[in-house]
Amino acid sequence: MVISDETRSKIDAEIGNFPQRRGALLPALHLVHKDHGYVSTDVAKELAEIFEINPIDVMEVVSFYNLFYDRPQPRHHAHVCTNLPCSLRGARSLLRRLESHFGVRAGEATPDGKLVLGHEECLGACAYAPMMRVDDTYFEDLDFEKAKTILDGLE
Amino acid sequence: MLKVPYVTGYLSEHFGDDGFGTLSGYEARGGYRGLRQALDTSPEDLIELLKSSGLQGRGGAGFSAGMKWSFMPTDSDRPKYLVCNADESEPGSFKDRILLERAPHQIVEGILIAAWATGAEKTFIYIRGEYAFPADQVDRAVAEARERGYLGAKVMGKDFAHEIVVTRGAGAYICGEETGLLESLEGKKGLPRKKPPFPAQYGAFGMPTTVNNVETFSHVPHIVCKGADWFRGFGTEKSPGTTLFGVSGQVQRPGLFELPLGTPLDEIIFEHAAGLLEDRPVKGVIPGGMSMPILPANQLDVPMANEFLRERKTMLGTGGIMVMDDTTCMVRVACVISYFFRDESCGQCTQCREGTGWMNSIVERIERGAGEQSDLDILLDVAGKMEGQTICAFSDAAAWPIQGLLRHFREDFEAHIRGKKCPFPGSFEL
Amino acid sequence: MPRITVDGEIIEVPDGRTILQALDDVGLLMNGVDIPHYCWHPKLSIDGSCRLCQVEVEGIPKLQIACNTSVQEGMAIRTDTERVRKAREGVMELLLVNHPLDCPICDQAGECKLQDYAYEYGVEASRTREPRRALKKNVDLGSTIKFDQERCILCRRCVRFCSEIPGTGELRVFNRGDASVIDVHPDFPLENDYSMNVADICPVGALTTQDFRFKIRVWFLEDAPGICTGCSNGCNVHIGVANNKVYRYVPRRNDDVNDTWICDSGRMSYKQIGGGARLKEAGVRGEAGRLENTGYEAAVREAAKRLRSMIEEHGADSVVVLASAHATNEDLFTLRRLSDGLGAGADGVAVVQGKSDALLIKADKAANAAGARALGFGPAGPVLDRIRDGRAKAAIVLGHDLLDESHLGGTEALEGLDLLIVLDVQQSALHKVADVVIPVRHAAEKYGTLTNHAGRVQRVEPAVEPAWEAWSDGEVLTLMGQALGLEGFEDGYDPAKISEWMSERVSAFAGVHLRVVGDQGRPLPGERA
Repeated sequence: MVISDETRSKIDAEIGNFPQRRGALLPALHLVHKDHGYVSTDVAKELAEIFEINPIDVMEVVSFYNLFYDRPQPRHHAHVCTNLPCSLRGARSLLRRLESHFGVRAGEATPDGKLVLGHEECLGACAYAPMMRVDDTYFEDLDFEKAKTILDGLE
Repeated sequence: MLKVPYVTGYLSEHFGDDGFGTLSGYEARGGYRGLRQALDTSPEDLIELLKSSGLQGRGGAGFSAGMKWSFMPTDSDRPKYLVCNADESEPGSFKDRILLERAPHQIVEGILIAAWATGAEKTFIYIRGEYAFPADQVDRAVAEARERGYLGAKVMGKDFAHEIVVTRGAGAYICGEETGLLESLEGKKGLPRKKPPFPAQYGAFGMPTTVNNVETFSHVPHIVCKGADWFRGFGTEKSPGTTLFGVSGQVQRPGLFELPLGTPLDEIIFEHAAGLLEDRPVKGVIPGGMSMPILPANQLDVPMANEFLRERKTMLGTGGIMVMDDTTCMVRVACVISYFFRDESCGQCTQCREGTGWMNSIVERIERGAGEQSDLDILLDVAGKMEGQTICAFSDAAAWPIQGLLRHFREDFEAHIRGKKCPFPGSFEL
Repeated sequence: MPRITVDGEIIEVPDGRTILQALDDVGLLMNGVDIPHYCWHPKLSIDGSCRLCQVEVEGIPKLQIACNTSVQEGMAIRTDTERVRKAREGVMELLLVNHPLDCPICDQAGECKLQDYAYEYGVEASRTREPRRALKKNVDLGSTIKFDQERCILCRRCVRFCSEIPGTGELRVFNRGDASVIDVHPDFPLENDYSMNVADICPVGALTTQDFRFKIRVWFLEDAPGICTGCSNGCNVHIGVANNKVYRYVPRRNDDVNDTWICDSGRMSYKQIGGGARLKEAGVRGEAGRLENTGYEAAVREAAKRLRSMIEEHGADSVVVLASAHATNEDLFTLRRLSDGLGAGADGVAVVQGKSDALLIKADKAANAAGARALGFGPAGPVLDRIRDGRAKAAIVLGHDLLDESHLGGTEALEGLDLLIVLDVQQSALHKVADVVIPVRHAAEKYGTLTNHAGRVQRVEPAVEPAWEAWSDGEVLTLMGQALGLEGFEDGYDPAKISEWMSERVSAFAGVHLRVVGDQGRPLPGERA
């Protein structure tokens, strides 16, 4: 078994919140991402068993949502919002500078596997632009120096 | 970081107070009085109150909240659900996030009043996946409310049971569309459902369901406490109440402003948001989140309410105001907008799946200097084909902004085509 | 029954249906009322996403999709206005934005709904200057189906088919927006007993069968109506024929039998028609112990002659008769009369049993098991017992299903017979022990009727002619009856007349015969609930 007993019991608790079992699939996918960072074929099979669906149903859902991944991920996701309010405030210039700082293009992972630098659509921080999301945390009112310090400081 | 509106009103006056997010802090400032009062009122009277208040949904479509509640069947013993749509993803909008972070109990109270009015036994608060911190605040508030007996088998000791489940999206704009949200809530891809059936008959998990936006629920306790007439004292006759305008872009003081509906756009930009950076002139303003068509600089006198905005061929949407100065290349704006809709289309309907991509390819080509005059006709033609013909309004929302940009800034596009390059070197970087 | 107005014509339609369903129910869809559609399929759930079937509904400002709009008394719709036409053109242009337009090398060309509707509603020249999506081409979804993702228009019929009909759900739509693609999970390929139906319902050339692709351009094919003979369900098929060769079966719609589906093994059973295993030469075992080709009619006459001597020597009850459940009702009615006319010791029918499911696949692996039973052919057991215990000296055997493990399991028991007459479509081990073998026609090569498991009598007619001499079983048996001087064989074998006679003589078939069953078949009187 790839999914731990602890996570399984959390999934069971989530299932109890919904009138139909499958309602807890997104919560369960969030939980397995916390543990594994992505949904492997084995994780998909085990989730399919838990939810009494086919593995392909799990993978189809994974493919639809930005926060779910079907392959191993670097340790961190650093996504600069490049939607209009942030772009008007220099988000894309910031992203370009971060790209050259880390020597990767947006969407690529750093060679050390520390982070993937990406761009993302509006994250609801429009008045605090430019901003980036690092995993679950928002960093706002950024400039290049601030962003660089934050990302360099990641483990 | 503390984020409070620069101009506050009944929704947001306590956002600066530490502790307003806690149950005790909320109650100390008058919270949950509306619920107490509501539980002594019949559901029918509450729905009437909501209808007469004229509260319009604040999620973008602006449909009467009271009417929506009244669609819930009263003669059915099937379980009924509420859904709080906290999947805020409309570019330019961040009000729901601040409401979730600063005033989760205000939302919970609004939900409980709506639950009593509609006979719903459970509410799902569906929070966009990226809103981890706001979700934590709501989780905590719901736990507090449960502990205090405001949720559970006997809400406030009354013969009324209600439960709230907080759940998270996972990064898909379309899940803000109410039936896309319902699909996602059921553990599926967020593909909007064809209508009929409507959610009030066949909603979450097939049960009668009402979906309201975070801000919509937040107004409800105030309306219950202070009455419909009080509420109608704010805003315009057709669009009563205040709303949280979010101002972003090239202004001095971007942020949230709680103001009555009908406040003129130029007042919001130049008084409240303190005008543009470096006092540059305005080139264009998107008044209500990215789905809404842009307004040019000479139309900023418009009062921010749908009845006036419609005359200018745009809408209030979510009240997300994006201000662009005179350096802005409107073709780049079109690139950003069309890329977003291309990326976020669910892909079900032909027009939307193919049209969003085609429009994006064309405007990007124009920006690169490889456009042709005929491209502009094609853009308008494709936008026309995408309008009003699909399962949900996303396709319209993708078409309108492009139509708006071509309506008011066609010259920007033509200049690119004539000069075979972008003539706005000082514009924001793409 | 609500009455609706379609383009000014008042039509009475069933209640509780959507516009497309109702028009389909009354047989008008694409047959008087043209509402083009991709995602909608009469036997699948409503998807509502292709948006091609938009129509004007009086009183509703926006165009409505006909697939998901319920009919109501007094509803007035228009399918022929400028607005509707423009909407269709819009959908067609957008569907073609990313389509590779590789019709010259596409196997669907000629039966492609994208081609058809583009011709009718398309803009004359493509206005796109953008590169088209580059996606997977020529990939195996499983052992039966090839997939070209670029040609796919995402109608998702195949996805719904797998989920709703076999219930196996191998196909899904991955990603979203214009990155959406249909695919399988790499560990769970498209493998189910009905997988090839996805190629039929695919309106474009995205899904093609391994079996048929690149065999022939479809415009060279002629369609003949037929019945699949793989089991007793009797699925209706279009037999695709060119130059007297069968290239494929595709399901022919019959809502009382197979809807619009057919199982994969039934579909592939067309190969038996022209395959190398066909019995092509009549033979009579001569002095040297070898089968000798004496000519077709001579072999039949020789069979009758040897049979007569056996009867003279051992009595008629030394003869046993074994029917084939692959033969038509008319063949078997002739056999019934021959068996009764001779006074044979026993008769019966050998039916091979196999896998069955709740959908189409039936345990009786022959198309006319029910017909044989209705004509009084009981289980093969008593016949085979007589062969085993030596009471039977002579046997007339149609087909070779008696060799199945569930019956004789081999030819050994047959070696005790003094005379074995075999009429068969296929070669088999029977020919090693038979004294006379006579090739006969496949159901796709003759007129007649077959009775399916539910007692539905369905018509077959010749789609191809065998390239060798072969008569239908009934014709062979008729000549034998004549040669034996039996009554009732004087008028020869005309399947239509025999069928009508059968319906008069056999109460199970009362009123049901070749001329009246039509192309959708008719239930036996006992089966009419």
